[in-house]
Amino acid sequence: MDHRRVFGEVFTLETAIASFVFAAVLALMAVAVIRRRAGTGRHPSQRAENNRLESYYLGVLGVVAVFLVVYTALANHREHHTPADRPTTRVEVTGFQWCWEFRYPRAAAQRTVSVQGNCRDKQFPTLVVPTGTTVKIKITSKDVIHSMWIPALRYKMDAFPNHRNTFALTFNQTGRWRGRCAEFCGQRHKSMDFWVKAVPPDEYRKWLSTQAAASATGAAV
Amino acid sequence: MSFTSTDHKRIGLLIVGTSLVLMSLVGVLALLMRSQLALPDETFLDAHVYNQLFTIHGSGMIYMVMTPFALGLGVYLVPLQIGAPGIAMPRTTLMGYWLYVCGAVTMLSGFAANDGAHPDGWFSYPPLADRVNSPSVGSDLWIVGVFLAVTGSILIGWTVLWTVLRKRAPGMTMMRMPVFSWSMVATCLMVVGSFPALLAALVMLAVGRVDPAVFASNVWNIGYQHIFWFYGHPVVYVMFFPYLAAVGEVLAVFSGRRFFAYKGTVLALLTFAALSMSVWGHHMFATGQAANDYYSLTSILLLMPAGIEYFALIGTILGGRLVFRTPMLFALAFIPQFLIGGLTGVMVGTPVIDYHVHDSYFVVAHLHYVLFAGSAFGLFAAVYYWFPKATGALLRENLGKLHFWLLVAGTNLTFLPMFALGYLGMPRRVYTYDAIDGFGWLNLLSSCGAGVLALAMVVFIVNVLESLRSRRPAGDDPWGGQTLEWATSSPPPEMNFPPERPLPPITSYAPLLDLEKQKRTGAGRTPAAGEGSQA
Ligand SMILES: [Cu+2]
Repeated sequence: MDHRRVFGEVFTLETAIASFVFAAVLALMAVAVIRRRAGTGRHPSQRAENNRLESYYLGVLGVVAVFLVVYTALANHREHHTPADRPTTRVEVTGFQWCWEFRYPRAAAQRTVSVQGNCRDKQFPTLVVPTGTTVKIKITSKDVIHSMWIPALRYKMDAFPNHRNTFALTFNQTGRWRGRCAEFCGQRHKSMDFWVKAVPPDEYRKWLSTQAAASATGAAV
Repeated sequence: MSFTSTDHKRIGLLIVGTSLVLMSLVGVLALLMRSQLALPDETFLDAHVYNQLFTIHGSGMIYMVMTPFALGLGVYLVPLQIGAPGIAMPRTTLMGYWLYVCGAVTMLSGFAANDGAHPDGWFSYPPLADRVNSPSVGSDLWIVGVFLAVTGSILIGWTVLWTVLRKRAPGMTMMRMPVFSWSMVATCLMVVGSFPALLAALVMLAVGRVDPAVFASNVWNIGYQHIFWFYGHPVVYVMFFPYLAAVGEVLAVFSGRRFFAYKGTVLALLTFAALSMSVWGHHMFATGQAANDYYSLTSILLLMPAGIEYFALIGTILGGRLVFRTPMLFALAFIPQFLIGGLTGVMVGTPVIDYHVHDSYFVVAHLHYVLFAGSAFGLFAAVYYWFPKATGALLRENLGKLHFWLLVAGTNLTFLPMFALGYLGMPRRVYTYDAIDGFGWLNLLSSCGAGVLALAMVVFIVNVLESLRSRRPAGDDPWGGQTLEWATSSPPPEMNFPPERPLPPITSYAPLLDLEKQKRTGAGRTPAAGEGSQA
């Protein structure tokens, strides 16, 4: 949820600044439209420029720009910083036309657990993750570019073929959220959804071993 | 009417007229899409058709409407504004126009192909756009069509730039050029500097369609994105500057004063154009393969030149004596509406925010506020303002105002809800959504808005046809214009400024305003033609 928190801070600040600027421009326009309309009998100004005001104004713009650049860059780094003392869960995500595969390499007693769906009839695969850990995700694609978007976490990362991106997510509460493919990827792009489910660590371990057992019996048949 | 005339005014009108016809055509595609999205789980269109519609809508509006219209306006106006008898290399301009027409026809003919038109969006990333994933002939036609149209734009851009550099009348120094002509300098610099990158990207795609194995390697996939966006961001300003400057001229004329902060604006346009070449990576924050800090830095710095441009627009009206004719209404609405596009542009230029809203309806809303609520309003301000010059007839004021108010209502009703949709998690380029997603009522509002937009466009078309059918003569200068095009007849004669209509003295970027002032203050003194032009 770190992404969601950082996004919230930055988005709120930028929305506040944007609203202020928008209101100021509207107010100035209102002044012009009401007080300077032809009916009031005022004469148009002869002044072609106001260099002094313009340079002060440019200075203010510069300060705002530098502040925004620095502040948002720091936020970006904070968002991507993973504390070393937290346990790590590793998941390999593969996008394909048109669904997802979630692999947990050697997660349950050296067995790899894999969840894969086909995203047909609104049956979407679920990425199960434990709360309180750093979930390190390696993401790639089998065919075209996809993008793994979890709107509730305010984060997405593209899945490229022949390339692996890595990022980390954290979940400090249990719950289930919808995930989507954000990069247009062809005919069934629309239904390339998935679920993310965060559960307590012990429940996560139990889930892993049932999955591992199920795939073991599946392999034996 | 000749389609082979080398009169820049004829060529300019052909370009502008063609792009307005195409605007209506690809605008209808958007109406079909909004019909499909009005309610959840609709089956009016299937995914295959929907994908073609958004591809051709986006490609059409960007490559074949907003870019050519901006350049066409330059072809028509720049020679007049700088007191030249014609455009430099008119045959090249004409060839550019015909390449553009061939390109548009080629791209649209994809709808007649077996599998339909190209379905991969206006930026068509590989490997999706290779032959394996997009086997339709429509995709080949799209590549060829866009290639031709963009080549045409490059040729036209060169001739306009060359005209400014080589054909200015005596006395027309660079710093006496009207704001619109300056905007065309910045625009054409970006056209010749960045559009070839699109040609390169299209060649890459073409190679990938012959041999899809090329795109098995990530280098070529991510490389395509870098090359494409090297074109893809400057083009946004190509579709912005001329309209911004048209708005500036309209604001000045209907404020009865000269454009405020001219020098700052010229500098801002040039700075903007230069910076535009180094911001492309902000389209790629979510690829995990771009230097996000750097591209965020350059993108956010753009707020400085943009802020100066706004300073000039608002300064102009704050000291004016405002007359609310139709062009003025469109120009005034441009200010806050484009601002919404600009302010949300700072947001999507911020990586932390972009990770969430990238490829969502938030971006769709943002780009339509820039291109439609902003640039298209500038486009209509330009049409209402210069129509009397080009045709000699005035457009109807009452229909113009009806068009304006419908367009304002329709624009905001259509595009404002899209910000919320994107924030709430609706991806772009989906042909439908589920009822449980909760996107229903916002989409319905947006679709209703699209209906209002369609109505507004019908009013506009009726206005143009009616005004041409039963003409109300405009006279040479119906608005009290300040720039040289208003010193000649409407429509201007072949030579622009023949001996019987000599150029007035060129004393500043608003020579007709100077002349007016001189007449008022120095009553009895008649300035000789050409006086003051040798500074
Ligand atoms: Cu996908």
